[in-house]
Amino acid sequence: MRTPVPIGRSPGRVVADLTTRRAVRSAIIWGYIFGIAIAWSAISYTTIYKTQAQRDALAAAYGSNKATSALFGPAPQLQTVAGFTVFKISMTLIILGAVWGLLTSTRLLRGQEDNGRWEILLAGQTTRRGAAIQALGGLGIGVFMLWALTAVITVLTGLDSKVDIPAGPVLYFALAMVAPAVMFLAAGALTSQLAPTRRQAATYAASFLGVCYAVRMIADAGVGLHALIWASPLGWVEELQPLTSPQPLALLPIAAFTALLAVVAVRLAGNRDVGASTVPDRASRRPHLRLLSGPTGLAIRMVRPTVVGWWVAIAASGILFGLIAKSAGGTISGSSVQQVFSKLGAGGTGADAVLGVCFLVLAVLVAFLATGQLTAARSEESEGRLDHLLVRPVSRSSWLGRRVLVAIAVLVVAGVGAGAFTWIGAASQHAGVHFTTLLVAGLNLVPPAITIFGIGVLTFGVRPRATTIVVYTLLGWSLLVVIVGGIGAANHWVLDTSVFHQMASAPAVQPHWEANGVMTAIGVAGALLGGFAFRRRDLQGE
Amino acid sequence: MGATAIHTEGLTKRYGGVAALDHLDLDVSQGEVVGFLGPNGAGKTTTIRLLLGLILPSEGRGEIFGLDCQRQPVETHRRLAFVAGEANLWPSLTGAETLHLLGRVQGQVDEAYRDELVARFELDPTKKIRAYSKGNRQKVILIGALMARPDLLVLDEPTSGLDPLMEQAFRHSIREARDLGQTVFLSSHIMSEVEALCDRVGILRAGKLVEMGTLTEMRHLSAVSVEATLDGAVPDLSGVPGVSAVQVDGRVLRCHVRDSIEPLLKVLATAGVTKLLSREPSLEELFLALYGGYGQGGETQS
Ligand SMILES: Nc1ncnc2c1ncn2[C@@H]1O[C@H](COP(=O)(O)OP(=O)(O)OP(=O)(O)O)[C@@H](O)[C@H]1O
Ligand SMILES: [Mg+2]
Repeated sequence: MRTPVPIGRSPGRVVADLTTRRAVRSAIIWGYIFGIAIAWSAISYTTIYKTQAQRDALAAAYGSNKATSALFGPAPQLQTVAGFTVFKISMTLIILGAVWGLLTSTRLLRGQEDNGRWEILLAGQTTRRGAAIQALGGLGIGVFMLWALTAVITVLTGLDSKVDIPAGPVLYFALAMVAPAVMFLAAGALTSQLAPTRRQAATYAASFLGVCYAVRMIADAGVGLHALIWASPLGWVEELQPLTSPQPLALLPIAAFTALLAVVAVRLAGNRDVGASTVPDRASRRPHLRLLSGPTGLAIRMVRPTVVGWWVAIAASGILFGLIAKSAGGTISGSSVQQVFSKLGAGGTGADAVLGVCFLVLAVLVAFLATGQLTAARSEESEGRLDHLLVRPVSRSSWLGRRVLVAIAVLVVAGVGAGAFTWIGAASQHAGVHFTTLLVAGLNLVPPAITIFGIGVLTFGVRPRATTIVVYTLLGWSLLVVIVGGIGAANHWVLDTSVFHQMASAPAVQPHWEANGVMTAIGVAGALLGGFAFRRRDLQGE
Repeated sequence: MGATAIHTEGLTKRYGGVAALDHLDLDVSQGEVVGFLGPNGAGKTTTIRLLLGLILPSEGRGEIFGLDCQRQPVETHRRLAFVAGEANLWPSLTGAETLHLLGRVQGQVDEAYRDELVARFELDPTKKIRAYSKGNRQKVILIGALMARPDLLVLDEPTSGLDPLMEQAFRHSIREARDLGQTVFLSSHIMSEVEALCDRVGILRAGKLVEMGTLTEMRHLSAVSVEATLDGAVPDLSGVPGVSAVQVDGRVLRCHVRDSIEPLLKVLATAGVTKLLSREPSLEELFLALYGGYGQGGETQS
């Protein structure tokens, strides 16, 4: 008998090594994106708003605008590069950071476990608690990298004579931008212990993020509820007020909340079985046979919980936007202001203009719904469930075709719902926006989602393993371009690659039916080509 | 023998230049139960997924009941059912819901038989797939295939995870299928299962079919194992023709004999035999002999 030789440097730390490696890899990519987005914002401001007069006009337009404040957070010092940069980019980075955090931790904690990898690791040297602590440590190193890269790129940007922001405040700003990632890494770690699968763990954490955003939004909407800001973790981040009037005390609730989540996560990890959930999952029930009569019904039944969740989120956001549209619109009725506002994509006056910007948020939600449909279809294949259908008398084209139709129906309902619920909110405030106008604006959200979906189906047909990454890259890119480039600095070739830029800001302006037609055609062509390719390729696992 | 159920011509699958399956020519007649063996990575699953149209051949073609596997998948699938050893089902559905779905998609179900199978395999169909053990999940897939009473059953390690009692239930069900004239194509690593069920056996190695025939035919190719208890000293057998794999354990001698046993008997007779056992090789021994490799020449327990 030979004694077994440990592989690798430190067998007891294998979970930490694994998590660190993966977290750092993705943090480096996102650190670059964060840094470049900040740099782009700061530099575009210095090139567009060169004179003090222009800057004052901008500040007058947004400084007390409750619509943009509700969406992006308050804008106290728009006359300065620093103040503008914070306003322009921070909400995007806050959301991106939070999403990165919850996806990374659920993937590295729950995902590994669902794949059965932890069982292998745990059979070795570590306990479940130990493994959870190690994984959290790895995630911590990852988020430190995210902070460091963001900080370095921003410090370099600050050295530019026109930008001119000193290093100290920049480090604090970078910290504020990474704080949501920290909190949602911990939140993801906790939901990973609660939920029975990775997907559900991510859904729980994402719903929590949605609530946090909505609460913060109400607090900033100028309806006299500003104290609510302290009820939302995203509100704490806002209260850090980097680069404008720093308030480091707000770091306390952030640190305490993160620590609490982490401790509870580790506790739960020690108390449950690997692969099991803490929230009871009823093991048996009487059969519900509705919809289980073929691939279409099955697809509907499988995507239903997530789709309904997104629909509710879209409807709730719509109502919220409708509620604030009139009062927020009142702040931008001056004529010089409109010009500035239209650079963000919204012409028109009053409530219409506000809703034009708000519908961009809804467009992103609808697009997320589209990507979700596609990744769900792909996982049916990669996890082998599709085999059970395709070895029976179901053709590949009929399976994919049905999924595409279900997805389109889901998107159209989402668009109609976005319009209708926004109208309900707006009508309750007598904002004077027509139902049909909003309905059309809602349908206007569908073509960008269809483009992303169609390109996704094409990828699915040709390179199935790249499906998820391609659709999320497309969506993230489109969003980044429209937000950072929307201010007018970006090259129009770059702008044109964003599906959200192609979409007209209805209801502020009329929908571009031509652009919508082109986007829909691209989507349909992608889906058809993808379907064609799917018929003549191997089914492929992960 | 009736008409052909499965027919392949030069069926080949390459992954980046490496042939996972190399020009396979195979014929299975209707009503036959054929076993399909081979070491890990030999290409069994590849063959089956090609026949089902889940992956596309690099070369060659396959037919099921005269229908092209690639061009007419829906028509061929109406007449077959498939069981895979790695069972991924929809975790949120219960066993009963899954069976209902699979039946509806298949388009044909013998409901009485389904209920009989559920009872035979002692499956609790009210449980969610998520809550089943591996073996119970496998039962759902098995019942889902058997309940359709298809003309052809394609089985790829269908009993992985089943306990010995359920293994018996499985064998019973396959015999039932054979009695009804269904064709069965069974890939398995459980030799006793193949030995008990199959009329013919094909052995695949590194993507090539190295052996195909009935068990009796294959046994002729192979050695008989002999165990002799002697009362004197063990004689030297090195010069005896056809003898191999000699093992001596005290006064007990074990060896393999190919072709005629006569030369060995002559030598043993002079050494004083008190007891002589001779036995045809089991499929497992045949398999090990064919593959050589690990523990070559060693006796397996019998
Ligand atoms: N998608 C793939 N990409 C590359 N190689 C593959 C792929 N699928 C199978 N192979 C290779 O093809 C060969 C045959 O694999 P196959 O799964 O058919 O073996 P098998 O006989 O079913 O083995 P086992 O008894 O382990 O199930 C193996 O060498 C395998 O590595
Ligand atoms: Mg196999």
